[in-house]
Amino acid sequence: MWKYLLRRTGYMVFTVWVISVISFVVIQLPPGDYVTNLINQMISAGGEALPSDYEMQLREVYGLNDPMYVQYFKWISRIITKGEFGYSLVYKRDAAELITERLPMTFALSFGSFLFVWAVAFPIGVYSAVKKYSLGDYVFTFIGFIGLAVPNFLLALIFLFLSYRYFDQAMIGLFSLEFADAPWSWPKFMDLLKHLWIPVILIGMGGTAGLIRTMRANLLDELNKPYVETARSKGLTELKLLMKYPVRHALNPFVSTIGWTLPGLIGGEVIVSIVLNLPTSGPVLYNALRSQDMYVAAGFILLLSTLTVIGTFVSDILLAVLDPRIRLE
Amino acid sequence: MDNTLIDVKDLKVHFFTDEGVVRAVDGVDLKLERGRTLSLVGESGCGKSVACRALMQIVRNPGKVVAGEILYNRGAEGGQAEIIDIAKMDPKGKEIRDIRGKEISMIFQEPMTSLSPMYTVGNQIIENILLHTNLTKEQARDLAIKLLDQVGIPRADRLVDEYPFRLSGGMRQRSMIAMALSCNPNLLIADEPTTALDVTTQANILDLMSDLQKSYNMTLLFITHDLGVVAEIADEVAVMYLGKIVEKSDVYTIFNSPRHPYTQALLKSIPKIAIKREDLDPIKGMVPNPFRRPGGCPFHPRCPQAFAECKVLVPTTTQLTPNHSVQCLLYENFANRIATEQKQ
Repeated sequence: MWKYLLRRTGYMVFTVWVISVISFVVIQLPPGDYVTNLINQMISAGGEALPSDYEMQLREVYGLNDPMYVQYFKWISRIITKGEFGYSLVYKRDAAELITERLPMTFALSFGSFLFVWAVAFPIGVYSAVKKYSLGDYVFTFIGFIGLAVPNFLLALIFLFLSYRYFDQAMIGLFSLEFADAPWSWPKFMDLLKHLWIPVILIGMGGTAGLIRTMRANLLDELNKPYVETARSKGLTELKLLMKYPVRHALNPFVSTIGWTLPGLIGGEVIVSIVLNLPTSGPVLYNALRSQDMYVAAGFILLLSTLTVIGTFVSDILLAVLDPRIRLE
Repeated sequence: MDNTLIDVKDLKVHFFTDEGVVRAVDGVDLKLERGRTLSLVGESGCGKSVACRALMQIVRNPGKVVAGEILYNRGAEGGQAEIIDIAKMDPKGKEIRDIRGKEISMIFQEPMTSLSPMYTVGNQIIENILLHTNLTKEQARDLAIKLLDQVGIPRADRLVDEYPFRLSGGMRQRSMIAMALSCNPNLLIADEPTTALDVTTQANILDLMSDLQKSYNMTLLFITHDLGVVAEIADEVAVMYLGKIVEKSDVYTIFNSPRHPYTQALLKSIPKIAIKREDLDPIKGMVPNPFRRPGGCPFHPRCPQAFAECKVLVPTTTQLTPNHSVQCLLYENFANRIATEQKQ
């Protein structure tokens, strides 16, 4: 078990390192850099083209003239040693500040959506499998497929329209006006919860539908296994034997979904957050990518990927705890 | 003194599938005597597994016990008879759940998959003990270790905490037996318990089972298609074909003077090493499609001795001697039945 944990931790560190390289490189792949972008903006705003030596000077200031591996090395060593993520060229602020401001919101939203997805998908999946081809199964399957098929930004738009039309207020943002800039307090937290459920449902919708199908299919496979018959022949009640045996077995793929649900949720969060104007990392990351604000973009991507890798790690540990076959190899 | 533990009368179990009704068990009569071993023999798909599952009401969906009685005498041996009808019980009800695993228990064909790999062997045995007795967890654990030791598992106190997938097939089947015996059942149903094991292990398990049967004084219902196993373990034999018991007698009569053409063919199909190397002598034809059962006697398309009436008349039970019965027109005086059925 300890060996397994150690090995997995090693893999995890390696994965994060590869991600950091890729995210840094990919961001610089599009032609041009922040300076070309800046100059283009100035020209389109009616300014004159800058002299090319001034342009070169700008690049020198921002460190854009160094070869890429030098830039990468500077960037990553500052993150590791000082926790500095560089400077946002667009917002003219410390990138770390920007990230710490936004990332907890994204995390709260993703985690909330994740809990929502599990809490809804688990019982419905079990129900759908046990009562296969019943009316309830068909209803949930129908709703599930709609949830899968409709992109969540569309759901967000529909929801915006409905809330505006019938409640006379657009349910956007994560805080009420009076709390938006207030320091953290209990009422502010409650206010957050009051707003959070809407994006949570909108973002979680697709994942829920997918997970219901996964759970249903897994459980259907397990329900007719011989060990279920053994358990029944002992005289256990149907509910007890269902929970102890087939559901426990069907849980394995369910748990390993933690890994791949997280990136999905974070990806879905970007568009929904833009539509609903949420103070999460999604919109900022989107802008940073568009304006080649490389430190902010790379920082976000690095941290989000790290979270995802950690999520996968957690799910692997959970699997080992749940299933002796994995634990004992 | 009546020594009957279970008296099955005209049991019918049908499966209601989308393609039609499968009459898996179609009017079975069986008597299980206390302390004796009855072997239920037949080809795959003849309904023997379904019939024995019906005794515990664990027939799988969409199967249902549709008719007949399963009269179970749960009173102590020699004491006051206390007869209840299992066939009338709700498969999910408390009544039958109290019988399962306690008074009637079962071991299955696949020791590899009949135990859940998620829990230790001990956990799965202790579960059964705690369900039916008032023992504490520690007492149940001690009992589980004692049982494992009894079924011949070495270092039982350590293997009790082992996961099934770390044990060999024979060890798993021994654990299953320990689990089935944990509450001192009146009846142990064994559904081809040795089929998935290799031959040496098979012999060990069979020895173990007949030893345990004596020391626990329980009734054994042994389902198999292996006639070698039957010869070794059975007192009585019932031969099943397409949901019906076609011949029933003690083990010597069945092997020495089988009457039903199906039983005769089954016995002939055993390869005999001692005699002479020749071709195998299988029963010709296949078990018919369950949706297109032949009319008349179900065996007539494959029967070497079939005659015209076999295609229309369903044979009824003929008692040849007090303990030998057969369902075959060869032995039935059916002239009267033709007359009465033509009148109708």
